[in-house]
Amino acid sequence: MYDAIIVALCVFIGVAGHEMFGMAMLSRPIVVAPLAGLLLGDLQTGLQVGASLEAIFMGVVNVGVTPSAEPAIAAGLATVFTIQMDGKLGAIIPLVWPLAIIGLQIINMIFSFVCGPFASKFLNYAKNDDQKRFVHLHFGLWVLHYVLYALLPFFAVLLGSSVVKQAINAIPHVIMNGLTVAGNLMPAVGMAMLLQMLWRNDLAIWYFLGIVLMAYFKLPMIAIAVIGAIVAIAIAERDLQLKKVTNAGVAVATNQGEAGTSEDFEEEDFFK
Amino acid sequence: MKIGSELDKDEKKLMRKLFWRSGPMYISVNPVLMGGSGFAYALMPFINKFYKNKEDRAAALERETQYFSTTIPFASFVMGIAASMEKENAQSPDFDVSSINAIKTGLMGPLAGIGDSLFWGVWRVVCAGIAITLAKQGSFLAPILFLVMFNAINYICRYYGGVLGYSLGSKYISRIYQNGLIEVLTKAASVLGLIMVGAMTVSMVLFKTKINLVMGGKEILDLQNVLDTIFKNLVPVLITLGCFKLLRGKKAGIITILFGIVVISILLSFLGWV
Repeated sequence: MYDAIIVALCVFIGVAGHEMFGMAMLSRPIVVAPLAGLLLGDLQTGLQVGASLEAIFMGVVNVGVTPSAEPAIAAGLATVFTIQMDGKLGAIIPLVWPLAIIGLQIINMIFSFVCGPFASKFLNYAKNDDQKRFVHLHFGLWVLHYVLYALLPFFAVLLGSSVVKQAINAIPHVIMNGLTVAGNLMPAVGMAMLLQMLWRNDLAIWYFLGIVLMAYFKLPMIAIAVIGAIVAIAIAERDLQLKKVTNAGVAVATNQGEAGTSEDFEEEDFFK
Repeated sequence: MKIGSELDKDEKKLMRKLFWRSGPMYISVNPVLMGGSGFAYALMPFINKFYKNKEDRAAALERETQYFSTTIPFASFVMGIAASMEKENAQSPDFDVSSINAIKTGLMGPLAGIGDSLFWGVWRVVCAGIAITLAKQGSFLAPILFLVMFNAINYICRYYGGVLGYSLGSKYISRIYQNGLIEVLTKAASVLGLIMVGAMTVSMVLFKTKINLVMGGKEILDLQNVLDTIFKNLVPVLITLGCFKLLRGKKAGIITILFGIVVISILLSFLGWV
């Protein structure tokens, strides 16, 4: 029981702290494993596990939804199992890895289906300038999100990893699959909200340029951003020139008095 | 440091608030807004300072609660710019507010690209490399050194990013506004924003169908292939445009749409179509 609480606490401190302190990297194995080791009375094992797992996870960057393993859960579980079984890390990793992969799936589920529905609550509070509730929800979701997150390592240590694996496998595959599909589609709502802000019928073609550049040319984001900036600057330059011409036209018109008003009016209309 | 030397005492205080509030941007992260709620949280002190009545504050808060996602140390830069634009909007009656989100959307993609590779790809690897060596020697300093090294740069970037964004914005946005060029800026920023949203629609919204017609052990129709031949990522783009139509026509709220997505996805999964 004590071990389970400690590991859950370390995972919570890691992942929740990482977000709270602005991408502070507290969730990395090199931090979580030594912390768990320290609290379980074996700092040296924690350090060794942390060093090995950090090297393994070095390449894994958690950006968006990726089908890899979850580093903090892997580090916490690997540390406690290595200490408990007095074993070699090499033998522990095959035991821990499936759980860390399931962990990432569960985290994506929490992200999509626990935190997702609250998005509209934020907007409602914003619409009413209810800042107090807004802030409470902001921090409340933090607690909810990461307490749920820490439950997996808690039960994994308490009941043993095989029991947890079986329990999760008992969830019907169709449901899990459907939820994953839904989670992958949800960002469409965020994109739609941005479109609502940016959409202008005369500019809509540029949205499709972004789609083609990503779907067919598979350019990195940064390349698309540079292309977008070039297009934007070119458009701005042309607009500035048009503005100058129009302003000059107006200036000439005012100098000439009433004479050329109707002609200039047409010209101005043309440039609009 | 020259950056931010022209800010007055009140603004410096706001900058410190921005630093503390920009850190936890992702604590309420969700697939609809990503860090958008955190973005609005960080801008609250500015909104409360610039706008005196409740309606304006509510409008500003709603404007800032939009999809936003970028690497944290660079997020404060965008927040600083957005804050300076809110200030301009509060002072100038006919300011075009759509330029605020246009600029945010234009900036977040490229900054995320640079930030992720610099902080996750380079700096974290350097810090972790040193820490791993120390940990293997059994030194308890390993995790501490790792955290201090990484976060020193992380935090410096976040503080000065905010100050830089705010002072750049304050300097140029009002000049652009006074020269009557804000519509030019808004249009250019919207073009960049729309291109980025198009790219994000493809990279973030994912869908693959498994519908397969098999006859006599031979595959005669692979629907995903057919869809890809028509246009790649056709379904995600159509779903995004569909959500946009629903939201714009006020035919459905976000909750209804999210619920619909879940129900339809599970249904499709039961039918074995996805």
